[in-house]
Amino acid sequence: WRVEHGSLGFRGLTMFCSILILLCGSSLSLQGFVELTIFPTVANLNRIKLNSKQCRIYRVRINDLEAAFIYNDPTLEVCHSESKQRNLNYFSNAYAAAVSAVDPDAGNGELCIKVPSELWRHVDELKVLKIHINFSLDQPKGGLHFVVPSVEGSMAERGAHVFSCGYQNSTRFWFPCVDSYSELCTWKLEFTVDAAMVAVSNGDLVETVYTHDMRKKTFHYMLTIPTAASNISLAIGPFEILVDPYMHEVTHFCLPQLLPLLKHTTSYLHEVFEFYEEILTCRYPYSCFKTVFIDEAYVEVAAYASMSIFSTNLLHSAMIIDETPLTRRCLAQSLAQQFFGCFISRMSWSDEWVLKGISGYIYGLWMKKTFGVNEYRHWIKEELDKIVAYELKTGGVLLHPIFGGGKEKDNPASHLHFSIKHPHTLSWEYYTMFQCKAHLVMRLIENRISMEFMLQVFNKLLSLASTASSQKFQSHMWSQMLVSTYGFLKSISNVSGKDIQPLIKQWVDQSGVVKFYGSFAFNRKRNVLELEIKQDYTSPGTQKYVGPLKVTVQELDGSFNHTLQIEENSLKHDIPCHSKSRRNKKKKIPLMNGEEVDMDLSAMDADSPLLWIRIDPDMSVLRKVEFEQADFMWQYQLRYERDVVAQQESILALEKFPTPASRLALTDTLEHEHCFYRVRMAACFCLAKIANSMVSTWTGPPAMKSLFTRMFCCKTCPNIVKTNNFMSFQSYFLQKTMPVAMALLRDVHNLCPKEVLTFILDLIKYNDNRKNKFSDNYYRAEMIDALANSVTPAVSVNNEVRTLDNLNPDVRLILEEITRFLNMEKLLPSYRHTITVSCLKAIRVLQKNGHVPSDPALFKSYAEYGHFVDIRIAALEAVVDYTKVDRSYEELQWLLNMIQTDPVPYVRHKILNMLTKNPPFTKNLESPLCNEALVDQLWKLMNSGTSHDWRLRCGAVDLYFTLFGLSRPSCLPLPELGLVLNLKEKKAVLNPTIIPETAAGNQEFSSSQEEEEIDMDTVHDSQAFISHHLNMLERPSTPGKVKVPQSHRRRHEHKKKKKKHRHKHRHRHRHDARERERDREPFAFSSPASGRSARSPSLSD
Amino acid sequence: RSGSKHSTNPADNYHLARRRTLQVVVSSLLTEAGFESAEKASVETLTEMLQSCDAGIKGMCHHTCFNVDTLPAYAKRSQRMVITAPPVTNQPVTPKALTAGQNRPHPPHIPSHFPEFPDPHTYIKTPTYREPVSDYQVLREKAASQRRDVERALTRFMAKTGETQSLFKDDVSTFPLIAARPFTIPYLTALLPSELEMQQMEETDSLEQDEQMDTENLALHVSTDDSGAEKENASVLQQNPALPGSRNGEESVIDNPYLRPVKKPKILSSRASWSLLLGTKSLASGRELG
Repeated sequence: WRVEHGSLGFRGLTMFCSILILLCGSSLSLQGFVELTIFPTVANLNRIKLNSKQCRIYRVRINDLEAAFIYNDPTLEVCHSESKQRNLNYFSNAYAAAVSAVDPDAGNGELCIKVPSELWRHVDELKVLKIHINFSLDQPKGGLHFVVPSVEGSMAERGAHVFSCGYQNSTRFWFPCVDSYSELCTWKLEFTVDAAMVAVSNGDLVETVYTHDMRKKTFHYMLTIPTAASNISLAIGPFEILVDPYMHEVTHFCLPQLLPLLKHTTSYLHEVFEFYEEILTCRYPYSCFKTVFIDEAYVEVAAYASMSIFSTNLLHSAMIIDETPLTRRCLAQSLAQQFFGCFISRMSWSDEWVLKGISGYIYGLWMKKTFGVNEYRHWIKEELDKIVAYELKTGGVLLHPIFGGGKEKDNPASHLHFSIKHPHTLSWEYYTMFQCKAHLVMRLIENRISMEFMLQVFNKLLSLASTASSQKFQSHMWSQMLVSTYGFLKSISNVSGKDIQPLIKQWVDQSGVVKFYGSFAFNRKRNVLELEIKQDYTSPGTQKYVGPLKVTVQELDGSFNHTLQIEENSLKHDIPCHSKSRRNKKKKIPLMNGEEVDMDLSAMDADSPLLWIRIDPDMSVLRKVEFEQADFMWQYQLRYERDVVAQQESILALEKFPTPASRLALTDTLEHEHCFYRVRMAACFCLAKIANSMVSTWTGPPAMKSLFTRMFCCKTCPNIVKTNNFMSFQSYFLQKTMPVAMALLRDVHNLCPKEVLTFILDLIKYNDNRKNKFSDNYYRAEMIDALANSVTPAVSVNNEVRTLDNLNPDVRLILEEITRFLNMEKLLPSYRHTITVSCLKAIRVLQKNGHVPSDPALFKSYAEYGHFVDIRIAALEAVVDYTKVDRSYEELQWLLNMIQTDPVPYVRHKILNMLTKNPPFTKNLESPLCNEALVDQLWKLMNSGTSHDWRLRCGAVDLYFTLFGLSRPSCLPLPELGLVLNLKEKKAVLNPTIIPETAAGNQEFSSSQEEEEIDMDTVHDSQAFISHHLNMLERPSTPGKVKVPQSHRRRHEHKKKKKKHRHKHRHRHRHDARERERDREPFAFSSPASGRSARSPSLSD
Repeated sequence: RSGSKHSTNPADNYHLARRRTLQVVVSSLLTEAGFESAEKASVETLTEMLQSCDAGIKGMCHHTCFNVDTLPAYAKRSQRMVITAPPVTNQPVTPKALTAGQNRPHPPHIPSHFPEFPDPHTYIKTPTYREPVSDYQVLREKAASQRRDVERALTRFMAKTGETQSLFKDDVSTFPLIAARPFTIPYLTALLPSELEMQQMEETDSLEQDEQMDTENLALHVSTDDSGAEKENASVLQQNPALPGSRNGEESVIDNPYLRPVKKPKILSSRASWSLLLGTKSLASGRELG
């Protein structure tokens, strides 16, 4: 259970960080110093490693003595530029090695400080050291994001602001620290900023003092609760300040002019506080809480110690319906992470799932309380479907990877194109799914041990941590504030007395989900239900399930739960039925919840008493179930089963049964006011699909039309919709959705019926929001979506050029509406420009269907920086789609350029993400776009172009994988050189890449055949690692350069052969280095393997 | 006065008419006295005399030995010339044909000597009006097409006056799209409700405000922001007894560090951090970076 921890050799005590932020003219920079008080834990600590990226370090002093330091960041350029390697396997391994080489959890860091020899004695006595580092940061590319609108006026008037951001531990981007979640210390932070600005940071604001020239202010913060550097954050801007009227310790900040929105948006927060404090029976751990809403956010929600940074786009007024629940969810999510994630941090990366799981789980409890059980179950089902789909697609998500002495072939994630050893190598999508799985597994644990025990465990973790946090520095005490998988499980077994090992083994230590196939037969003679449950555990992403499985059978006499034991070879399960098939027609049928209902039983099989069967109704297994039952059973399930998940499952199943009975069941559901609105919305789309399948036999008006008329149109004039009144949110959502679904209807010619189009156009025409309390922007946007949905491919006569003259008259009407809407948006913009977004999407649909000439120019103008982010993303999505459909090299280049140059990190990330989702080509497809230049370009992008943003780099890796796969891209020529030098065996061999089709090689490193490839990668790793260490030994303050003694170099080369057991290897290496330094002076030498000059420490590029 | 250009004035009109009548009187008296003709100036002088005599007839009686009693006889003399009344044109009588309704008699509390009520049309409601279209369908139809036409015209106008984009290369006028223009601060337009919406919101709010004056709603609007501009709210809060007393007390002294005044710098900074940092910077960088 325990993960081997690389040791830093010291523990942080306190951190004092003082930063001066300069925001003037075009220079965005900061200067500062940090003062780190550390406590050596090993006697012979002579080098101290810290994390730092981008920063220019001027001077390091330890206890007022000048200390030599070296700065080396192998992640700046993962594979050296002269390398011609282009296969992703190689890159991923090298990248993982580079990240390990600076991983603080493994005792590494970019900044290596040599303890002056005068202090060695001091260290041996394990006395406290004070490290003082002066640094500056100029125009940072990552970690801190500056937003500076280009208007007239001072920085404050322009609304310029800056905030810290990043994916996982990214604090090293803006000041030197031990950038780990497991290294706790107390903090004192000082930020000197322009007098018109406010600096918001972690902990309590002690005082604000003017500088001597009265032009600047210094904000002094104090954080006495031990906190990891990775949970430190900063936001500076001309913020408007709002003290929460319910909780005066809570302060909200927003950008100028948005105060009314801030008031409304945060007016709900105190209820979330109350909820969490109540269920956890624990007070909010920090003495204050701050929310900051900023523009150009990296992520919508980012939680840091005692403050959360949100996207300003979450703010909304009381008129907005759709955004309200989303924003509240974000607030609740961030607050859950304050308890688990910020206050309680993790021991190591492999314990991350516990924190994400707990915070996601308590957030789920909040959802259940706030939005109701239906919404909660719907959400769980949605999350379950997502994780199942992802795991089946990619081959599994592993919550608790165990590394350490692991051999390469045990690599738990060999199916993935990235390493899961570090958060920074993880694909963003994988990480999202990881969080999703974590909270689902927490729910499974709750199912096993009960919620009461679950909350007791959380309470125990929190109270231990808060006791520890109030203690003075004692390393063993503070570690109580870090959660580990082991500690968490131990706590569970202590509290509940239950053994949850099998559950953990199945879902936490192992990846994959379960895939069930079920079918049944009713044996009338024995009155027994013969259920057959098969599993697919051979496909990627699946695993075998053994254990209990709940099956619920609804019979005429009532609903019965059965627990089946799924075992190795048993497929068939006999379940005795209670009711005889003869039925008493008058009797009401009892349901699971005790309700008794009348049913029309004429549809069912006269011989069988079974109404419907559900497998694993409580979702207590992470599974996908494909169950076969008759159409009438699905219909009964939809009508009478009260669980929304069951209703949704039956709606999905009914798509395959386009019959009048299905139609009726769906229509009834749609009309049923007590039915959950999301189920009704799903029924709309299913009904559209069924209607299309039944097109030849369909009678009456188009599906849903009369329903809509009855619900939302005037009694006297049925073609006119009532003036908007969105007081009932359920009908609002239904009113929005029905036309969108109706537009999917097709007639026998596969065209959208004229009647439907007229109907939608009339809805738009008669839309009247004057008397409504709420904005109708989302409604109108959906009407445009409906118009887009009604578009069918143009009948094209010999590929003529699309002109206005041959425009279809229906399309002309649609275009007329779109033009008007889009133009009106310029004069009266809607909230979040929802209408513009829908218009852009609709125009792309028209282009794709050949009604309008395909042209990316319009989208490119909307994609420019300066448009609202939602518009930009919609426009970029259209450009991405255009690139794919028209195979445009020019547009692809335009997109790639934007990935590198756009000022907004989120947009860059999103472009990569969209290109990966909708790639212009894939590895198995021939495409004119796929050429050597593109390979080089992308390689460069992930190799060195994205070193300032972990998320972006992983996004580039994802794209590279989608386009070219794991091995050398097929469009590349074979390497020119036939002979390569094999360093390992010190002889020249025939370039092995010529023999196998996919292997790769080059002059510098040789790569042997397939089975040896992994080993070779390890060699590269260790080479990178060694070279890195060799670099580190250099002392810039030492004049001159002494060549490495031959013996040393040989020693290293010798070590290269020990390619496995990297952890041990690393330790030994460090010891060697230490011995060496202790007894000898020369420690500056150049690395044989590295192409980089050791004399030029890679400062910020 | 005769030279006055402004003859439209009713007072002037009256004077002119009176003078003209006096002139006729003077002329007839002269004719009676046997004059065949008279110079304009003398007639004018006599008219002037008559006018003043007329005005001060009573005073004259006292100052002269003029016997008023002889006047009636004089007036009835046989040889007098009969002067027709001047045509009254400047006081047209409202044509009776246009009267609406019956003239109202005075109610009992108004003495009868008071003037009559004006014509009824000046104060009664006219019972005739054009029947407006009350058919819901037509109204909605009309409102919808009106709005659409306005929007269309407006957007077309805007498109014509500014830059446009087009979906068709061969045609730029049928579906003119106002060109996309980046904003300097895009989130403001995207998030803040437009003025129209604000107005709408106030309207709908005012309808409901009476019903929803509960404390929660009130508390929601209470702002404690540092600007202190919301004095209205503060006073509302103090007046409102529904809020718990403790909170009421706290409200006035919210101790939030962000609301505290900024301190003046100490004269002697114990930690001269910045001078230290900036002073050593050039030195250090010179050494470390060569």
